[in-house]
Amino acid sequence: MNSQDQIPGLEQEKIDSLSADILRPVRINKSFLLWITFLFLALIICLYVYSIQLRKGLGVTGLRDITSWGMYIANFVFFVASSLVGMLISCVLGLIGFRWVTPIARIAEIVAVAFAAVAGLVIISDMGRPDRLPYVFLYGRVQSPILWDVTVVTTYFVLSLLLWFLPMIPDIAVARTRLQNRPSLLVKVYGILSFKWVHHPEQYKILNQAVKILIILIIPTALAIHTVTSWLFAVTPRAGWDSTIFGPYFVSGAFVSGTSALLIAMYFFRTNFRLQSYITDYHFERVARLLFLVSVVYLYFNLNEFLVPAYKMKKFDAFHIHELFAGHYAFAFWLVQLGGLVIPIFLLIFRFMRKPLPLLVISIFMFTASWLKRYLIVVPPQGHPYLPVQYVPQEWMVYKPTLIESTITLATFILVLIIITLLSKFFPVVPIVETAREESDQEAKSHEKH
Amino acid sequence: MKKILSSLLLFQILAGLLIAQEWTVPADKKGRLSPFPFSDSIRKAGLQLYSLNCMSCHGTPGKGNFQALVPPPGDPATDKIQHNADGELFYKVSEGRGQMPSFKNTLASKDIWTIVSYIRSFNPAYVQSVMPEITSGAYSGAVIALSLLLNPSRDSVMLKASAIRGNSVVPVTGAGVKLFVRRTFGLLPLDEEKTTNDQGMAFFPVPSDLPGDTAGKIQVSARFTDEDQFGPVSKDTLLQVGLKIEPVSLVKDRAMWNVVRKAPWWIILTYSLGVLVVWGFILLVLLKLRDIYIIGEHIDSVGAKKNES
Ligand code: HEC
Repeated sequence: MNSQDQIPGLEQEKIDSLSADILRPVRINKSFLLWITFLFLALIICLYVYSIQLRKGLGVTGLRDITSWGMYIANFVFFVASSLVGMLISCVLGLIGFRWVTPIARIAEIVAVAFAAVAGLVIISDMGRPDRLPYVFLYGRVQSPILWDVTVVTTYFVLSLLLWFLPMIPDIAVARTRLQNRPSLLVKVYGILSFKWVHHPEQYKILNQAVKILIILIIPTALAIHTVTSWLFAVTPRAGWDSTIFGPYFVSGAFVSGTSALLIAMYFFRTNFRLQSYITDYHFERVARLLFLVSVVYLYFNLNEFLVPAYKMKKFDAFHIHELFAGHYAFAFWLVQLGGLVIPIFLLIFRFMRKPLPLLVISIFMFTASWLKRYLIVVPPQGHPYLPVQYVPQEWMVYKPTLIESTITLATFILVLIIITLLSKFFPVVPIVETAREESDQEAKSHEKH
Repeated sequence: MKKILSSLLLFQILAGLLIAQEWTVPADKKGRLSPFPFSDSIRKAGLQLYSLNCMSCHGTPGKGNFQALVPPPGDPATDKIQHNADGELFYKVSEGRGQMPSFKNTLASKDIWTIVSYIRSFNPAYVQSVMPEITSGAYSGAVIALSLLLNPSRDSVMLKASAIRGNSVVPVTGAGVKLFVRRTFGLLPLDEEKTTNDQGMAFFPVPSDLPGDTAGKIQVSARFTDEDQFGPVSKDTLLQVGLKIEPVSLVKDRAMWNVVRKAPWWIILTYSLGVLVVWGFILLVLLKLRDIYIIGEHIDSVGAKKNES
């Protein structure tokens, strides 16, 4: 064995057994090739559809003068929301000192990186002239929440990428020595990305400092990204958006969609990568409790967001609330509120519902409902602007997404899956060195007790 | 039975739709004619007005690119619109129906006729007949004119209607008249409709707080209510009745809505500081990454030397 693999303070066997399990899925096999080919084929079809939009302009979507933000923007808000889970798991819980997050922190970070990376692309899908994207930087106004949003989303993406990558450097070094039989290009990449890591204590010290900076930095940035996204709406005087609690309302909603995304990803990696002994029922139970907590907080914000205007029933608010509660959007609204929030909260009370499989089902419901919820936040308020709309046909007032729009939206999800697949197939999804350290700490503790 | 009933119902709905398609104009409005002959310059003005008010729905005449509304607006170059008599066009544009807006309050009748002249330019078979001189009523053969005068106390406008026949000028009495102020979007009526007294005069009170231009001038426009009898005689004039409004430039000082060069200082500072701090730390992290690399490289070379010796 290479002497570089000696990790101070850890037994060699522990590293051996851990890396055998965790590095096993890191390879190119038939099912991976099939899956990634399928994803790319689907993406190519969607890109063809996008080329139609590029040629003909946004007229091929359901967007018109009155409802100019539709499925694309709702999708953008959803992507930003889902990416927040990275900050919640590895930073907030990590800083508080919950050590059980170690094996799932990287999965949370992968989800965050994938959604944050594609969020920017989603915005471009909403542009009729994407060639004018540089104008945002050339002529952007610092007064505009749109510029703030572009800034924070980019920053958050970079931070998430670093926070995924930096703690993984020791693992890449482990992989570098152990995966010599993988394609030579991959081995070369490991060599470069391991940054001459030799498991020297000084290197660990510096790495810990760097990770700590990132963890602290990412918390305000993550809060900023979703708060700013909510301000895109809240700074507009429009019934349904004109709300002072939009920031925390969005952030708490983001934790719901992000945590459910994490649970889906955990379930998938656990069964497909056979990581049952690392991502255990205990982790699901813990994350389920977290999901319960963030859902209750989100329910509380929902109550505020609807009860207060519904009590006063100011003219335009009343119209908006009627549309949601009993009007055009009532079915979707109650589906989201009951099926995506109230019923899951109730179910999560029971212990047997916090097992992996029931959790997967609940999470899929909450994740889907979260998407629909963004649609209900973005679209309905545009139907009733304060300034009267005159001489405009009804068709321009009512927004209906087109097939083209839906296909392009689908493409963004395919992209997320591609990123998650690549990141998880070429790099270990569970931290090797950290988990080893965690385990030996625990063993030492139990020795002390006896 | 049920089937028969439902098919009857369907028939009724269809019939209703068909009837709804028919847009009949009252017989006395059909024969209405433009008071002035359509000339090239008028058609040109008509193009302007058409582009501003009608193009968004009816599209470019001859291109068939009108909006898909129910019922369809139609292309003005086609028979759907050209089959109308001049009076019918005037009536339909004035009154509107369903999604077709009524323009009688936003456009003066002269403007509507100007648009009609433009629409007719797409019909090579069209031959215009101009409204003959007013022949009916008490003022037949006379030229009718309106004049406007500001009361010295500036709180009302006097309107005078006269009929001029040769050298004699007689007041037009008992005629309904209206006074409008021209605003950015259409005409704003001032007070109610009035009837001229036996001197042919009517008085319109003017509110003291009408915003005018920098000199306090306001564009007013007078006309008869019954244009069939008196013709589309109108009088447009500038009167000194408004407040002097110096337009304040809203983009002179630093403000949220201004260009980035004139953004408020606090927002420039907050934004730049935030970006600098966060990216400064990111740079710091990258430097630490470099330190890690340097240490690794150093140890590597030490190890290599050991192996050699
Ligand atoms: C908001 C859209 C809209 C605008 C703006 C508009 N129209 Fe129309 N127009 C319609 C529709 C819809 C119809 C059909 C109405 C019906 O048949 O009930 C119509 C009908 C008409 C007709 C009657 C056609 C017939 O079948 O006899 C004329 C003439 C007409 N428009 C002229 C104009 C002119 C001139 C303007 C501008 C001053 C104008 N329209 C502006 C929508 C519009």
